[in-house]
Amino acid sequence: MELLFILAAFVVAVLISLLIKHRGVIEFTAVAATLVALAGSIKIALTVAATGSYSVAPFFTVDALGAIVMLIIAFIGFPTMIYSVQYLRQETAKNIIGFTRVRQYFILLNLFLAAMLLAVAANNPIITWISVEATTLSTAFLISFYNKPSAMEAAWKYLIINSIGLLLGFLGTLLYFTAIDPSVDNGLISWQSLMANAGLLNPLIAKIAFIFVLIGYGTKVGFAPMHTWLPDAHSKAPAPVSALLSGVLLNVALLVVLRFKVVTDAVIGQSFSQILLILFGVVSILVATLIIITQKNYKRLLAYSSIENMGIIALGFGFGGWGIFAAILHMIYHALIKSTLFLSAGTIFLKYSSTKIFKVRGVLTALPISGIIFLVGFFAITGAPPFGIFLTKIFILTAGINTNLVVSIVAILLMATVFVGFFKHATAMTFGEKPAEIKAGEISTWLVVPPLALILAALFLSLYVPQFLLTLLNAAAARY
Amino acid sequence: MDILALQLLLGIVFLTVVFLHISKKDFGAVIAYSIQSLAMVAILFFSFLQTHDISLLYIVAMTLLVKVVLAPIFFVRLVKKYALVFSVSTYLNTPLTLIIIAALTAIAHSQKLFSLTNIVPVNHAMLALALSTILLALFLIVNRRGALSQIIGILSFENGIVAFGIFAGLEQSFGLQMGIIFNILLWLIIATAFVSMLYKHFGSLNVTSMKQLTD
Repeated sequence: MELLFILAAFVVAVLISLLIKHRGVIEFTAVAATLVALAGSIKIALTVAATGSYSVAPFFTVDALGAIVMLIIAFIGFPTMIYSVQYLRQETAKNIIGFTRVRQYFILLNLFLAAMLLAVAANNPIITWISVEATTLSTAFLISFYNKPSAMEAAWKYLIINSIGLLLGFLGTLLYFTAIDPSVDNGLISWQSLMANAGLLNPLIAKIAFIFVLIGYGTKVGFAPMHTWLPDAHSKAPAPVSALLSGVLLNVALLVVLRFKVVTDAVIGQSFSQILLILFGVVSILVATLIIITQKNYKRLLAYSSIENMGIIALGFGFGGWGIFAAILHMIYHALIKSTLFLSAGTIFLKYSSTKIFKVRGVLTALPISGIIFLVGFFAITGAPPFGIFLTKIFILTAGINTNLVVSIVAILLMATVFVGFFKHATAMTFGEKPAEIKAGEISTWLVVPPLALILAALFLSLYVPQFLLTLLNAAAARY
Repeated sequence: MDILALQLLLGIVFLTVVFLHISKKDFGAVIAYSIQSLAMVAILFFSFLQTHDISLLYIVAMTLLVKVVLAPIFFVRLVKKYALVFSVSTYLNTPLTLIIIAALTAIAHSQKLFSLTNIVPVNHAMLALALSTILLALFLIVNRRGALSQIIGILSFENGIVAFGIFAGLEQSFGLQMGIIFNILLWLIIATAFVSMLYKHFGSLNVTSMKQLTD
């Protein structure tokens, strides 16, 4: 029931945005919808923690990892929507956008959030695929939001590369169905029936299907070498959209890959999927590291950091054991911190009107609170204590040292290089003299509160994991 | 008779993708895609004749509307609006393109992919041809420089997957198939809108002219 309320809230928000021409009403309903989503997601997560799953038969089922990803979507969606209201007001004040654009933005953002929640909760792999495709369609116009040639190019790349990827994912999905009588579940083959019939799947087809799924949905995750759309799309979209793309959407796509991994493992054992995840993980970290150290644009820097972190998470799942628990925890920390960084980056952009690192100096003077949040976020994302990423990286690498020593050593070296690269860029931006034409002071409290809340949440969860979340983490780690 | 007819229809789907590779005019590419989609509709109609499942008839009608009527209308409008007489070129020249087409077709028919093409042993030849169509459509997307050709490539890729699904006995329920077709319709509208916007910004549909992302 909660899930239906959440989806209904987004539908109402979209309809109001379509029908009513009052900006305040559109903003209010959008924020209210995300608040409903947050409350509903918490309720669903508590239910899953208590009973093992949440179901609205036959269409929706949420397992432990699904509940965690739903929480991520809702927990980041709410502050991001609040931030969006003020961010767009600032852009309207600067005559960058008008009311029509604002309306389009809220319609598409609500659809995007609803599609992500549907993808997580759908009990059928084809509905999941349709929902993930819907995230592509709803965000394509958000990436081209500023209607500039570069944004248009980024959106086109995003649309084409992800469409190819998702069609490959679709082909892979169909191949998994070869083990099942199409009339099962009235044609609505569920994740559960896929799992129950895994023994009937031809092992060779299972391997080919997983490769298609990994490459297909892996494109959406941002695994290298299919990542080429990601830095462009994440850097050209409005900052709150980048926060959701980087912090949330990548996890949704990864969840789909992991669901197929479980089915594949049941057919051919874990080693095949683990080797592939390690391979994509280490290549992603390598590619991201090489570009991070020479990066000139801070939004692209954050986007490449997402590729690196998705690589780390893939390594965790590839290494197995403790690595899986740490990878899921890493997913949560990365989502919170990366959205913090993108929202702070949005505030910096509003202040400096540039995304070039060399043009941004003295952020701590120009934006005293946002600057601190940005700097703390930089350290947090690279794994500085006391933030949880420090521990999750250690756990993932420890799991790897026992099973894949060389890969773990390479990963350690690359992570150290990323830290140096980030440190160089972060200190250059935050310290020093701000340009004379930039006035000191925060732009708006509502541009400070959302990223502050997110970084504080990341810090809190680094020091204490609530019991219900721990239960979900353990259940998810045991299953995946 | 049925098998022969289905083989002929799938052969048409395959040949249209080959034609899309060598076509020099956008209008020709649109016609080729229309014929390909019509062949797909006919294949779906054969499924209806075999099963007498009335819901398949709705899917046939929807596919006909979206892929054979609406998609070509969108494309022809674009071609006329922006006077896109000649399609922009390919990355590889025609002889090399034909060699790769032959190689990909051979791979699809090879023993390496036997497990894929033998999902339904009686349909082995048709599954191999559908797989060839999928590989050629993928190659079409990466080899063409024109945005319109890329869209047609993706839609051909999707046609190839649908053909593969039909001959592998993997048809989905009515609701899901309608959902997929609706999704394709939305994708088509959005992709066509993007093509218009790209032309306005770059004055061309040649994707190599997009060089704004230099960071």
